Amino acid sequence: MNFSWRRALIVARREFLTTVKRKAFLFTLIAVPLYFGGVMALATRGQMSTRRESMRAFTRLGVVDSSGLYAGATREITTRMAVDPTEAPEKLETYRTAVVFYPDQARLERALRSGEIAQGLTISADYLATAVTRRYARSTGTFNSSSAVRPIERWLARNLLAGLADSLRIERATRPASGMDLYTLGKNDRFEIKDDRREMLEFMVPFMVAILLGVCIMTGGQYLLQGVSEEKESRILESLLCTLSSEELLAGKLVGLGGVGLALVAAWMGAGAALSAPMLAMAQFPLSPGLLVLAVVYFVLGYLFFASIMTGIGAVTNNMREAQQFSMMFSFANLLPVIVLTQILSKPDGPLAVALSLFPFTAATGMMLRLGTPSSAVPAWQIALSLALLALSGWLVLLGAARVFRIGLLMTGKTPNLPEIWRWARAGK
Amino acid sequence: MLEVRDIVKTFDGRAVVNRVSFEVRPGEIFALLGPNGAGKTTLIRMITDILKPDSGEIVLDGSRIGGDSRRQIAYLPEERGLYRRVSPIDVLVYYGQLKGLSAHAARSAGLALLGRMELAEWATKQVQTLSKGMQQKVQFCTALIGDPRLLILDEPFTGLDPLNTQLFEEILAERRAAGSTVLLSTHQMNKVEQLCDRALMINRGHMVLYGSVRDFRRQHADHAVMLRSDRRPGAVAGVRGIEPVDGEWKLMLEPQASPQSVLRDLVASGLEIESYSIANLPLEDVFVKVVREGLGLDHGQSGPPLPDELLKGAAR
Repeated sequence: MNFSWRRALIVARREFLTTVKRKAFLFTLIAVPLYFGGVMALATRGQMSTRRESMRAFTRLGVVDSSGLYAGATREITTRMAVDPTEAPEKLETYRTAVVFYPDQARLERALRSGEIAQGLTISADYLATAVTRRYARSTGTFNSSSAVRPIERWLARNLLAGLADSLRIERATRPASGMDLYTLGKNDRFEIKDDRREMLEFMVPFMVAILLGVCIMTGGQYLLQGVSEEKESRILESLLCTLSSEELLAGKLVGLGGVGLALVAAWMGAGAALSAPMLAMAQFPLSPGLLVLAVVYFVLGYLFFASIMTGIGAVTNNMREAQQFSMMFSFANLLPVIVLTQILSKPDGPLAVALSLFPFTAATGMMLRLGTPSSAVPAWQIALSLALLALSGWLVLLGAARVFRIGLLMTGKTPNLPEIWRWARAGK
Repeated sequence: MLEVRDIVKTFDGRAVVNRVSFEVRPGEIFALLGPNGAGKTTLIRMITDILKPDSGEIVLDGSRIGGDSRRQIAYLPEERGLYRRVSPIDVLVYYGQLKGLSAHAARSAGLALLGRMELAEWATKQVQTLSKGMQQKVQFCTALIGDPRLLILDEPFTGLDPLNTQLFEEILAERRAAGSTVLLSTHQMNKVEQLCDRALMINRGHMVLYGSVRDFRRQHADHAVMLRSDRRPGAVAGVRGIEPVDGEWKLMLEPQASPQSVLRDLVASGLEIESYSIANLPLEDVFVKVVREGLGLDHGQSGPPLPDELLKGAAR
């Protein structure tokens, strides 16, 4: 039978519509971003809220000064700090803390217990020589004991130097490196100022693209695996294969379910871009068209590669459970670069990162992560080689999968062993 | 209509279908018979172009199978299934479109078929809510949609109640009258006797019977006649034995005796004869006899291993 794109597209349309109408798809579409967004929001907001709360509660500091150095110290600490570092430009909030002196530690402790003061500070008699102080609080949150340290440090420094230097010098002494910028060698071989927030944005977009790419490839592959397994299990295939060729069926499934994966990512990216547009606009962050084109190319090639493998697995196994057991290791390989993210970030041009971005199983996500790492300058030849290897292996796997698919679809009972699958893939019989 | 010429299909060095040739004439209901593992499914898969023969050719209406001529064939496999979470009409529109109909034409044809199958009110319900018999009728519709010229049905009557069996038979008769040809594979020999003119029987990949169903039954029957009369016949020349069978008398004839000479002698004896016919063996008995006695087999390189070969293999 001559290959007919018309029949393949009928299959693609059916696969696409049937899948997107499923409750499981709608659940994935809505619940997955909600879940991850919710977790991130909870974590960030929780952290911000804890900082804000601890500063708001820090209204009165009790001090016992045994050194006598702070007899004339100011009776108020003014703290200006950015509680939400994701806001651009940074929004500063002002907090005021009254400083109350006590003659001895016992009274200070009593005041602390009664709630008269939020925290207490004792300054030892030999503070100048030893720097020994003690801070008292009724309780602190887990990993949150340092929230009031900086304001106290600055109050100590400022009042120690009062009268010894002018206010400007005192300010510099308390915050000597507040205006320090770091310059690093950029992608264009010039030293550029390192802007952490911008760098985070520059990294986050490709990072999210890499994650989405991985999830999308995996989702499309899983739908394919599920579809083939279900059709095989429910014995639909034989009557279907009388109507169209296995190649048309395979092509239709790849296109239709690849479309499902793309639709999923497009919806997620669209929603993500809409929600984060103000932040991106404020940071004047340009979305590189080249990067987006590369993302699409890696998606298409990566999807073809993994989807072909999933199709082969679906065709040779007898049921969904068996199919999922086989497919798990391939899905894991796809997201391996995300698991070793810290190594890629620290050495984006190191052997591990380069290998992962060239190896077809990890190339799509691996290369996107490397491209997103700000300090990385991926040579063009590596991108070209990575794409060529992925395309070539994708093509070979697709050819083999088509052969395995044709034979495996009609096989029931015993799952073929590896030599049998290899023979089918090579010779098609 | 359909010509199968000397086809061979080998798996792992064994010919599962071995030099099989037959012809299915336009408008006939042709039976494909054989025990389990005989090679029927492989043969059907080659006719439907799902598998390619190693040698030989299959011709449909003058063209070799393999091009779009396959579009003229519909197949209802024995092991069949449906998409469970879609409606019967959506299944039929899908199959209809794959067979070249437009979406609109496929919907019209699908609704007409569901109506004929008395399933109109179930057209938009999910397949999984239908009973097994109803699902089987929907599956039959998937084969019928697109008006295929050759309809291959593998055990279409299994699991059907008598009413639905009759409905299927009526539809087959309608299709035949409309010019379709039917290749029927079944183990229900009474259906073959009732519906089919001719048949092919294969065993272990070999053709062991091919021709008219009536001829099979005669060829393998005893040399005997069936007589319905007012009383038991007396001694007649050429008759070596008489036994009652279902209200009739079965007269076993001497090898040299002819049915005509025996009839003449019976009439001459004054017996009142209601009916007189040459005894036929039921097709089921022909089937059992041919398979059990291994008639027409090479006992060597074809088909799955014989039981004694398996035993030898296990002993080794």
